Amino acid sequence: MSGSAQITVESVSHTYRPARGRAVLALEEVSLAVAPREFVALLGPSGCGKSTLLYLIGGFLPVEQGAIRIEGAPVAGPGPDRGVVFQHFALFPWRTVRANVRYGLEKLGLARDEQERRAQAYIELVGLKGFEDSYPSQLSGGMKQRAALARTLAVDPKMLLMDEPFGALDAQTRSLMQAELYAIWQRTPKTVLFVTHDVQEAVRLAQRVVVMSARPGKIKATVDIALDRADPHIYRSAEFAAKVDEIWGLVRDEALKAQ
Amino acid sequence: MKYLPLLLLALIWEAVVQLGLVSRDLLPSLSDVAKAGWTLLREGDFWANGAASLYRGGAGLALAIVIGALAGIAMAWWRAVDALVGPLVEALYPMPKSALIPVTVLWLGFGDGSKILLIFLGCMLPVTLGAYNGARSCEQALVWSARSLGASRLRVLWDVVLPAALPEIANGARTALALSFVLLVSSELIVARAGLGYLIGFLGEGGVYDAMFAVVLVVAFLGFFADRLYQRLMDRLLAWRA
Amino acid sequence: MARLTLRFAPWIAVLALALAWELFARSGAVTPFMLPKLSTVLARIWGDAASGELWQNLGLTLYRSLAGFAVAAVIGIGLGFAVAYNRVMRWLFDPLISVGFPMPKIAFLPIITLWLGFYDVSKISMVVFDAIFPVVTATIAATLAVERELLWSARNLGASERELLREVVFPAALPQIMTGLQVALPIALIVCIVAEMKLGGVGLGGAMITASRFADSPGVFAGIVEIAIAGYLLVRVMARVRARLLAWHPETEAPATV
Repeated sequence: MSGSAQITVESVSHTYRPARGRAVLALEEVSLAVAPREFVALLGPSGCGKSTLLYLIGGFLPVEQGAIRIEGAPVAGPGPDRGVVFQHFALFPWRTVRANVRYGLEKLGLARDEQERRAQAYIELVGLKGFEDSYPSQLSGGMKQRAALARTLAVDPKMLLMDEPFGALDAQTRSLMQAELYAIWQRTPKTVLFVTHDVQEAVRLAQRVVVMSARPGKIKATVDIALDRADPHIYRSAEFAAKVDEIWGLVRDEALKAQ
Repeated sequence: MKYLPLLLLALIWEAVVQLGLVSRDLLPSLSDVAKAGWTLLREGDFWANGAASLYRGGAGLALAIVIGALAGIAMAWWRAVDALVGPLVEALYPMPKSALIPVTVLWLGFGDGSKILLIFLGCMLPVTLGAYNGARSCEQALVWSARSLGASRLRVLWDVVLPAALPEIANGARTALALSFVLLVSSELIVARAGLGYLIGFLGEGGVYDAMFAVVLVVAFLGFFADRLYQRLMDRLLAWRA
Repeated sequence: MARLTLRFAPWIAVLALALAWELFARSGAVTPFMLPKLSTVLARIWGDAASGELWQNLGLTLYRSLAGFAVAAVIGIGLGFAVAYNRVMRWLFDPLISVGFPMPKIAFLPIITLWLGFYDVSKISMVVFDAIFPVVTATIAATLAVERELLWSARNLGASERELLREVVFPAALPQIMTGLQVALPIALIVCIVAEMKLGGVGLGGAMITASRFADSPGVFAGIVEIAIAGYLLVRVMARVRARLLAWHPETEAPATV
């Protein structure tokens, strides 16, 4: 990966201290560097702290031990430069699709008609044309995730932080969404940090897969994925299967430990 | 401690009056109220009135719970009863029970009878509803098992449906308990010649405000403690519910 | 046909009850004093409506209940937010709320009367004291239950702390807050009526207690019917308001009344 890193994580540890019960060490001395426009998957069993790492980078949790720098500057809180997409969509249920997508644009202080124009563009980009005035409760899971994606993309963030975004969708929708996300990424390349527990999904989308250990999360291994994704048959090829096997081998022990 | 703010409030109360920030006529000091309360307990009409209230509340509530539970289970078990009584329950549920105060007085005067009737009528509904829902949700499998083991229909009602409905009945009874306090105090404040609610009014009219405050606080906290005690009791009795 | 029956089932229940009342009263099993005929009671209501007395009583009671309800709503929601957000407020108010909830707060009416007199202010204050509890508890629960991903998304898109409260927390909490308000409204009505019964004067409660003192049986029953209808109408209006405000909500359901 060329160029200086856009996201630098240096020896970050994180402990959860619930109001009741014992403190839990979620991450232990994790270090990571993500280059601009790289698509990186964070893979690991449940509870391994991958979401925690994402939340720290996103500025939702304070960095207590170690340091996280975004383009050289330490993380100071959430911001539109690091767009976030959650597993359960987090759409504002009281706003229509259009109003949801417009939210970030409102915050940017754009003129009303500019907001409308951009919102419409992104709604169409994710394939939700015709549903602009629907409320989230009227949409299917896949449509909700598209709307959430449009909302995040509308503010044109440099980086995308995605927390198991397709985890709540059924298998077919998930497959479609993966292809669409990849297509969007190709068209408007952004840095993507993609959290998942699905090995196939990681190999399908990412250029680099970071495998995390079971709790407390550490980085176990990093695997580069150099597949020719332009080839439509690549996902059924032996190369693909071999990569999945290789990574599954790394993950399997951790998955058992997490049981 | 969790209830520390209440202690602080009590201290502020005492301080505010002692420092003269609020007139003693409007707000007797906490110490005066306590003294007056103590006097009432020792030599006043507290016990006689307390007994009257306890009798009315207890009788009304007991009737409401027993008859209400039986009615609810009967409605859930026999369709004919449901068809007959159901509409009555539905139509009466939204009506505020305190509106019945004048009519119970019309029928039974100022004495115990009107209060007991009021509490019985008012508190029956939440218990009936709880019993009905509880009995309805009793798993069909449990009933069939009991029948196949030789129990008669009536026995099944007693051995299986009633215990299954108990948690919901207990919930309804908790609402009924709080409601009984409200109905009792309300009716005694307005149309009574005995009872703690009456005592409050009597002391107020007589200008004996420190004693009045004392009885108000006693009644209010009785309501609170009754609820807490009831919760504890139910948690114990229904421990099998997990 | 089944759908129609389902929709009118509550009306059938009321009609059946009305019919049973009229027949039972006519049967002679009880004296007209104990249970006047429904027709007599309705005629009485009609008469009061024509003379204006009904509107005077109803108007005053509604004014007091709704004023108290409005004050309870505003203070209750504000207090609820404050308690949910501020640890000191929570420490201070949690015990007050949990102790106050099961108390028969009507017992404090004589104290309120001592402080505030016999007129509207004391009645409205009594209503506020009683109605504020369900509003505060609902607001606290609703605010604490707002999904953190909603808040995070909003912050991620650039919202400030103040904007968060207004633009995210409040709408997200609104369904549950509305439920609290729907519980509080019937409470406001009945507490007002009880206060009126105690303090007398004009109003549905005062009129009813006067009727009972004069052994005016139709008057007492008329009061019951009027209160039942008033309560029912208020609940329906609230349900409509809820449906309007929460059109986006997947489950728009009114809770059962007390």
